[in-house]
Amino acid sequence: MTVELKEVVAGTDYERIFHPQSLAIIGVSAEGYGFGSGMLKSLLSIGYEGKIFPVNPKGGEIAGLKIYKSVEDIPDRIDFGVVAVAAPLVVRALEDCRRKDAAGAEVLSSGFKELGTPEGKALEEDLKKAAQKDFRIVGPNCFGIYCPRSGLTILPGAEFPRESGPIAFLAQSGGMTNDFINIGKWLGLRYSKVVSFGNGVDLRETELLQYLGDDPETKVICMYIEGIEDGDAFFSALQQVTARKPVIIYKGGLSPAGQRAVASHTASMGGSKAIWDAILHQANVVRVSSTWEMAQASLAFAMLPERSYQGITVAGGGGALGVAACDEAEENGIELPQLKSEIQEKIMAILPKPGSSAMNPVDCANPGVPPFILKDVLLHAAAEERVGLQILIQLLYVYKAFQRRENMQSLREATPYIELADMMADVQRQTGKPAILVLPNNRQNLDDLDLEEVRREAWRLFIQNNVLCFENLTEAFRAIGQVSRYYRRREEILGN
Amino acid sequence: MEFVEKAIKEGRSTLSEYESKQVLAKYSIPITKEVVVDTKEDVVKAAQQVGYPLVMKGSSAELAHKTEKGLIKVDIRNDEEALKTFDEFMANMSDIKDPAVLVQEMVKGQRELVVGMTRDPQFGPCVMFGLGGIFTEILRDVSFRKAPLEKRDALEMMREIKGQKILDAVRGMEAADIEVLANILINVGQIGIENDNIKEIDINPIILSQGKPIAVDALVVVG
Repeated sequence: MTVELKEVVAGTDYERIFHPQSLAIIGVSAEGYGFGSGMLKSLLSIGYEGKIFPVNPKGGEIAGLKIYKSVEDIPDRIDFGVVAVAAPLVVRALEDCRRKDAAGAEVLSSGFKELGTPEGKALEEDLKKAAQKDFRIVGPNCFGIYCPRSGLTILPGAEFPRESGPIAFLAQSGGMTNDFINIGKWLGLRYSKVVSFGNGVDLRETELLQYLGDDPETKVICMYIEGIEDGDAFFSALQQVTARKPVIIYKGGLSPAGQRAVASHTASMGGSKAIWDAILHQANVVRVSSTWEMAQASLAFAMLPERSYQGITVAGGGGALGVAACDEAEENGIELPQLKSEIQEKIMAILPKPGSSAMNPVDCANPGVPPFILKDVLLHAAAEERVGLQILIQLLYVYKAFQRRENMQSLREATPYIELADMMADVQRQTGKPAILVLPNNRQNLDDLDLEEVRREAWRLFIQNNVLCFENLTEAFRAIGQVSRYYRRREEILGN
Repeated sequence: MEFVEKAIKEGRSTLSEYESKQVLAKYSIPITKEVVVDTKEDVVKAAQQVGYPLVMKGSSAELAHKTEKGLIKVDIRNDEEALKTFDEFMANMSDIKDPAVLVQEMVKGQRELVVGMTRDPQFGPCVMFGLGGIFTEILRDVSFRKAPLEKRDALEMMREIKGQKILDAVRGMEAADIEVLANILINVGQIGIENDNIKEIDINPIILSQGKPIAVDALVVVG
């Protein structure tokens, strides 16, 4: 049984909110730096293509654009408003936007409920009333919407990618939103829609979650949550959305529950942490405990075929392979089945000896085994039907020694990462099983930064070739475990 | 529900064990056979109704922790013991309002579980399952689900506690009747959903008697 949900409010024009053709920015100043002018410059810098109408009663010009003295003076209709005026002036600015036919507005201004003062609370109540079915408010006290396809961006956000992708992110916190996009930028995450909704007077977690659940552009939904507005509605939305796509949640603010002096055991054990743990698990939410873990999980969900993985192989040479690592696999519900003897024989025939082993993990004895040999190792190992996914550990720093030995000009030249990228992509195509790279860098001295640079270049190329990468085996197992658990449990729930 | 409304009207925040179990019984949760007596004349009749050996407990809505007050006696085997225990308990409860004694079937079983319901300020009624008896507080080995529970939720939450093997056929004991347990969990959630004035439920222990779960002690908090 599920609780009847509020329908996604009919009349909300999300298309014009996320992909506005024209924007009014209310509260820009020609001099100095304010949120309004900051947003304007960020939008110009990221290359927002729509029309921008800056507004300030003083008029004038900013960045070559005419500043309108009032919203009313704007000659066209507007799709979306960006409001950065002082708190007491916000409601008026919103009403002006609505009269210009806007579908909604984001309110960057602060000075509302978060102050904790009666004035702040009263202003927030007024703001709530300004929201309408056909005019939705994001904020206040937020950094706004980032949508790479339209070029909307959050503060400061001037250099965020314009390339769209399958990952959406929701958070009250603007700082967290910036962190997540910044990590994602180099890790390889690409976003559909990102919303920092601040105090969330109108559009907030439940409704946005439902919208993203229906959004064909979004395949993975990430959320950072502190408080929620309506537990029942949120829970129902989670259940409905996780039946279709993964929802990854990082829950903040879970302090140990105060022990109440109550008669029953149940009440004293049902503190908020225990209940949140249960709720998220019950709704098949993927639970993470840091922004970094969330970024890795969302990358794995975005890149891996939608299924659960139980048997995997791990291959590599050098110090990175270990029994301990394989123990960690088990903790994440992953097995490393022993390869059939005929497969082992084929692999042993091509690996350097002595020191190699074709049990699983496959020890290549030497971290510098060339990609064409590794390719055959992976192709052979994939023949084991209990294996659904393969991990190859590559210690790119061995090529630094190689470069010195061979007197090569640059590390880039010595590192066969282009071959690796092609090879991994080929393996995935030929076997139909994902092949993942783990790229640890144990040499992070100041005079080895060229290594890190090459590793990052390689990482970018691997992701472009649709090869998922992790920094270490522990994190790879964790993410694969999260993906597998989600799909396995979804099947169980839907099959019920 | 009448017991709940009566308690609230009287300004009480808890139901007595007997009243609490009557609430559970209304939701098809198996409870011990038991009779409340407040006069000595009724003791023997009650004991015969329940059958020896039996358990006697002090019974009053004001009594939350009977063990600490020495108001539980088990394995009472005859009329003489029953009458003596009645007198002792009544004397011990002389300062308590409406004292009475619960004459209760003695359930045999080594495995004790806890099932509860609490109201989360955000998510409403949530059901708890875990190891019962003294282990509830010592090990805190419990799992939760938001109500209403589907059968799958009930089955899952039983397998989530660390001591889940207690439900299996271990050391010559019969496996727990998972179907009945699942229904108990589902129905405890249902009590929470249908009765806003029931704040908390604590059924501890539920004893597995030849695999069959029976609610042996229960506390319902109202308000």
